[in-house]
Amino acid sequence: MTTFRVTQTMLANSSLRSMQAGLGRLAAVQEQLTTGRVLNRPSDSPTDTTSAMRIRSSLAQAEQHARNADDAEGRLGLIDTTLGSMTSQVRRARELVQQGVNGASGPAARQALATEIDQLRESLLAEANTSYLQRPVFGGITTGTGAYDASGTWVGTAGAISRQVGSDVTVRVDVAGPDVFGAGDDSLFATLEAASTAVIGGDQAEMDAALTKLAGHLDKMGATQAVVGSRQAQVERAVVATGDAKLALITRLSDVENVDLPRALVDLKLQEVAYQAALGATARVTQPSLLDFLR
Amino acid sequence: MAGTFASFNTGLSALRYQRIAMDVAANNIANVTTDGYVRRRADAVSTGAAVQAALWSRSDDTAGGVALGSLDRMVDPFLDLRARREHGKQAFLDTRVAVLDRVESGIGEPGDSGVAAALDDFAAAWADLGNHPEREASRSAVLSAGATLADAVRVQAANVTTEIEDQVHHATDLGAEIDATAASLAEVNRSLAAAQLDGTDSNDLLDRRDELADRLSTLTGGEAKVRPDGGMDVTVNGTALVTGSTSSTVTVSGGSGGAPLVLGIDDGTTTTTVPTSAWGGRLGAVAELVTTTLPQHLAGLDGVAVTLATAVNTAHRTGYGLDGVSGRDYFAYDPDGAAGSLRVAITSPDQLGVAKVAGTFDGSNATAVGAQVEGAASSYQRLVNGFGSSVQSATRLASTQRLVTAQVEGSREQLTGVNLDEETLNLVAAQRAYEAAARVISTVDAVIDTLINRTGVTR
Repeated sequence: MTTFRVTQTMLANSSLRSMQAGLGRLAAVQEQLTTGRVLNRPSDSPTDTTSAMRIRSSLAQAEQHARNADDAEGRLGLIDTTLGSMTSQVRRARELVQQGVNGASGPAARQALATEIDQLRESLLAEANTSYLQRPVFGGITTGTGAYDASGTWVGTAGAISRQVGSDVTVRVDVAGPDVFGAGDDSLFATLEAASTAVIGGDQAEMDAALTKLAGHLDKMGATQAVVGSRQAQVERAVVATGDAKLALITRLSDVENVDLPRALVDLKLQEVAYQAALGATARVTQPSLLDFLR
Repeated sequence: MAGTFASFNTGLSALRYQRIAMDVAANNIANVTTDGYVRRRADAVSTGAAVQAALWSRSDDTAGGVALGSLDRMVDPFLDLRARREHGKQAFLDTRVAVLDRVESGIGEPGDSGVAAALDDFAAAWADLGNHPEREASRSAVLSAGATLADAVRVQAANVTTEIEDQVHHATDLGAEIDATAASLAEVNRSLAAAQLDGTDSNDLLDRRDELADRLSTLTGGEAKVRPDGGMDVTVNGTALVTGSTSSTVTVSGGSGGAPLVLGIDDGTTTTTVPTSAWGGRLGAVAELVTTTLPQHLAGLDGVAVTLATAVNTAHRTGYGLDGVSGRDYFAYDPDGAAGSLRVAITSPDQLGVAKVAGTFDGSNATAVGAQVEGAASSYQRLVNGFGSSVQSATRLASTQRLVTAQVEGSREQLTGVNLDEETLNLVAAQRAYEAAARVISTVDAVIDTLINRTGVTR
């Protein structure tokens, strides 16, 4: 503005304006410092606000994936150990049948073998009803509490249970009973029942048949355990990836939302000095008038 | 040849004029902080010989003293016009920023308590239910997360609706203020016309007139025009608000409950509707907010609510509840005002459509519902971004306008403002001149004394 005449009011107004502006800037820095955030409302930076909201939502998703992965690891781990323990028991049952084939001498001895086989069957049945957080792991999506009833019949409901453990990684976390233990007369439990009967009766042919079937079951269980193991590995990889992603997201969120403390402090000091300068200048400029010098 | 006592009269005229000059300086100093006061200047004219040459009565006067020529009011009508226009714009933008700021602070983004956070929590609750469909706690969590989300959306919609209603009241209040100001201006116009007839000093009235006209353009953005009789007419979009000594009133109707805001000017016999976009100043800003910006934001919120409810309901309908029933809606809303009426339609945790297969603990449908939230989340992000941008641009425009207004106001102040140093100098100069004039009188007195009492006296 080209000034040809200056009045006291102009001085007062412009001083007031600069002091207001200085105080406003001081307040802005102060707000950033006290809240610790540069983004306090959408208009502070609409683009960064959108980024912050997106990052927060991605973060929530990553946390969900982590929770899902925890659950998946629990389930798959339990299935893995259960299958391991069951495999060794089936192996023992097979040895017992083998002893029967190899010609256990008397009926008492055969009876003893058969009793042990029956006990193993009971124990295997109990393990097949293993549950994770009250849900039978071999029962599919059943609402019941067990996967097998006392006679060894599968009472579960077919249906896959899956967990999303990464943005595009979904892992199946259950094993349906019939898929690993067989169904009907060929099921593990029916086979063991038949084997026990054959051992008592000394029926060589039946015992041979049971041996073959048990070998088949062992293969199947081994293969399933391998599948479960590979799923566990998949989940673990996803957990690591999710952890990395979470860390990266938190860092980015902090970059976008949080205040750069040293910079803000320097800014605060600068604005403070500027404000004090404005105050000092106003005090000096408004004080003198011609009246001070006229007598 | 001037008469013997002519110099007395010259001295007297100087005494009179300098008294006036001191008066004017004193008045300027007294009004240094008065709003709308325009400094005056006493213009002196020297009264010399008769200015009109005459053939038979030649004047051989050499000096006749001084007289007050005019009492000037230091204004520039062009600057006044500029200042009024800029003040109108400033008031428009400031009002807009104030209201938008308030609405924005109700959004609460980005943060842990806004709608975005509620959307995330809602999605997480569904995903957890997908993991544990058998748990009563997971079902209840989905219901309460849904209720929290619906509340958050409703609160935002209510914020905007309340603001619209408040602004409609504000418009009515502004209307009353405009009416009162217009009436005062009409009154001043009447006095000005009278003052012009009888020749009274009308400078104070002119100050008052300009101040009222400024006030009217701050309120309405209307245009003021000086009348030949010294008054000022104000029109808004060509419709007269003040004409000479008559003023009209502003009518405000509608605005709330979905009815459009209608603004008009009533001159006592007919009401002329003035489009809301034609108003400026504070009333213009309120009209713009009530008719455009706020309803747009509300419509955006409605859009988010509809997107959310439609996506979630579609996915939810395919799922079976524990009672074996499918095809239920999760959210319910009223099509006019979706955001303001969003609520959870499911009343019991057993009705949640969690399973894709009836009568099982299948959680896959819950997982699918949780995945539907993302669409609503991104449309909400766009809405917040859009609103944030409009607040930001309004704030920037207002602060840019502040510079322009300050500049124009500065130019006006340069011309009209009182400078104390200048007035002190004027005062001192008048004082000295007064003293000198007094000395002139006493000198002439001494001279005449010499003439009368000393002439012919030799000792």
